[in-house]
Amino acid sequence: MTAVMSRQDVVRVEDIRKAKRRGGKNDHPLWFLIPALAVLVVFFFIPTLFNFIYAFTNWSSFKSSIGFVGVDNFVTLFNSGTLLNALRVTLIYAVLVAVFQNLFGLILALLLERDTRVNRAVRVAFFIPVIMSALAVGYIFQALLKPEGALNGILGFITGTDVTIPWLGDTTWTIVVVALVHSWKWMGLSMLIYLAGLKTINDDVLEAARLDGASWWTTLREIRFPLLAPAVTFNVATALLGSMNGFDVVQATTEGGPGGSTELLNIFIFRTFGQGLFAQATTMSLVLFLAVAVLAFPLIKMLRKREDVL
Amino acid sequence: MKKALKVAAVLATAASFVLTGCSDPGSGSQNNSPAAWPAADTDLKGTKLTVWAAQNSNKVPDSVVAGFEKLTGAEINVVTIPDPYEQGVQTKVATGDKPDLAFWQPTGSQLTALNATTNLQSLEGAPWLDSTKPALKDITGILDKTRYAALISTPAVEGVYYNKEVFEKAGIKSVPADWDSFIKLGRDLKGQGVTPFYEMGGDRWATQWWVQVQLADAAKDGLWDRVNTNKEKFTDPTIQGAINTYNDLIKEGLFNEDIKTATFEDQGAALLSGKAAMAVQVNSFFSQLQAQSDTETLNKKIGFFPIAPSGNVGTFIPDQSNALVAFKTGDAKREAASRQLLSYWLGQGYGDFVTAQSTVSLQDAVKTPGTVPNALLAVSDSLGTSVGSMQAEAIANPDLYIFLADMIQGTKTPEEVAKATQDQFAELAKAQGAAGF
Repeated sequence: MTAVMSRQDVVRVEDIRKAKRRGGKNDHPLWFLIPALAVLVVFFFIPTLFNFIYAFTNWSSFKSSIGFVGVDNFVTLFNSGTLLNALRVTLIYAVLVAVFQNLFGLILALLLERDTRVNRAVRVAFFIPVIMSALAVGYIFQALLKPEGALNGILGFITGTDVTIPWLGDTTWTIVVVALVHSWKWMGLSMLIYLAGLKTINDDVLEAARLDGASWWTTLREIRFPLLAPAVTFNVATALLGSMNGFDVVQATTEGGPGGSTELLNIFIFRTFGQGLFAQATTMSLVLFLAVAVLAFPLIKMLRKREDVL
Repeated sequence: MKKALKVAAVLATAASFVLTGCSDPGSGSQNNSPAAWPAADTDLKGTKLTVWAAQNSNKVPDSVVAGFEKLTGAEINVVTIPDPYEQGVQTKVATGDKPDLAFWQPTGSQLTALNATTNLQSLEGAPWLDSTKPALKDITGILDKTRYAALISTPAVEGVYYNKEVFEKAGIKSVPADWDSFIKLGRDLKGQGVTPFYEMGGDRWATQWWVQVQLADAAKDGLWDRVNTNKEKFTDPTIQGAINTYNDLIKEGLFNEDIKTATFEDQGAALLSGKAAMAVQVNSFFSQLQAQSDTETLNKKIGFFPIAPSGNVGTFIPDQSNALVAFKTGDAKREAASRQLLSYWLGQGYGDFVTAQSTVSLQDAVKTPGTVPNALLAVSDSLGTSVGSMQAEAIANPDLYIFLADMIQGTKTPEEVAKATQDQFAELAKAQGAAGF
């Protein structure tokens, strides 16, 4: 190789190699990672490790000693139907949130795509719920959705009758209402990511489509949506997996009721922990951890595959 | 090689964390001998005491704190632990964080939940016990024959709050004397177009009172002792029967139509306005009424009678605002100061306390202030003959109220309620190491 290169070329290549080596070492020395890594280890890895260990003990608030009990906690958990019910509710909730949040986020992004002054202001308005406390959002909606709350008041004013729909009191539909509240809170984030995704689409491609006579809808379906794949991956994965860990919005609106129909696994864990059954609560959170992991890998792999068109 | 060493180092560190982590940080010494009781006015300059209280009890100690600080020079800091209070305190104590004193439900199950034998000071030989009314002295606060909690006000009683005006209008002269006449009265009222009973299924927690008052006679007969030793279950006829009766009465239509969504506030408003005739409730319900009305109106409108299958027997259920526990903190000086504060509270400072709180006195020598509403006096009168609730007598406190609320919503049958309660009770009893589980 070097034989056909001039001496100058060789020097240049060497310089680049050196620069790369040096740059790699000097710009980002590995020990820069230590502070972040230390925080991650102390607040994430070690607790997760403990999570695996305490699940096999009889740790509780009633005794000072902690002893290993093997898989006893798992056996009891799976024998009582409550865990499976909570898992089922959690999955339904996560799917509902993923669908609603992405649908709302995408619609908002498309509506507010152009960089006008009004659109900028409206984007900020829709992003505000994202930075609000989830508990506060939950309590506000709980007040709005009461039988004598503001929503029924407005409906009553429009229809001219006395409306007392218990929005949070239906054992079938309340989970949908709560998922909508959760999605409302987070849709601003999805919107932002879809907006960023839309901005990365090359204007030339869209112009070519326009010249070919493609309608707005065809452009969206055939070109823009497929090109949004990375944004979809991120949004669907974070919405689905984030809401599997959901707690605050549901706790503030329904506390798992009515009749246990919105009892997410985390609410069940919270209740068990509050009873002083620390080991059992830990076992449940291990089950949740595994459930999220089992779901996360295939899902992300599938979504990443969609990005191959890029 | 270097990499392998690093991995080994990480693993070793992790392992050491795990090994040290496996001892309970909330454990302390095991010494339970009664301690000396310092005189209430011993000088405590420079001593700081922390008292944990809930959102609804953090104002209770105001007069005592002011009086004690002035008398002894101690500094007392009342810290509010957010609701759910019990869970918050238990979690903090489990991780090694302890106050000097805390408001706490003085029942066996809740003292067990705090791991009283290791975490709490014994209050045996306390100076206020001699002046406490004999009927109330040993009613609660004791676990395994050791006193751990100081009762500061009369425990709550589960019973029937009724609207006197509704009763009058319906021509009812005296309150029902047993369960059958109580239910018959409900049916009669319904016949007259009045909602006889009001239940708050939306807020859930009061649902358990209807089951518990039906168990009063069985409780007197040792029901909870049998449940505690797994000789009787929630699914056996006694408790299952009470759950079934409650369900049947709801199905019969003796309760408010919005039972599924009604809240605590709704219940208070309904009874005050006469929209409903009766509600089975505890003392905190009356505080709710007091927030919505004044003593004079309440004396005119609201009455109380205890009920059980066999007659007018109340079911008592002390709650967190009724009592305090003193923690073993490992600092002998502060532990003594905590005991000193309690002896001041229930000694020299007790008169001011009952006046400031306008609550019923536990001591013959201290008069109950005239500002206490009649219904509360009726509640406290019923205490002497009342029996312990599940919370007071059972070794664990399962979420019976949640399961009953599920039944009201229609997602659980009465049989499933009993089974879920029993399963949870057994799990808790097992975790405590109770015999028979």
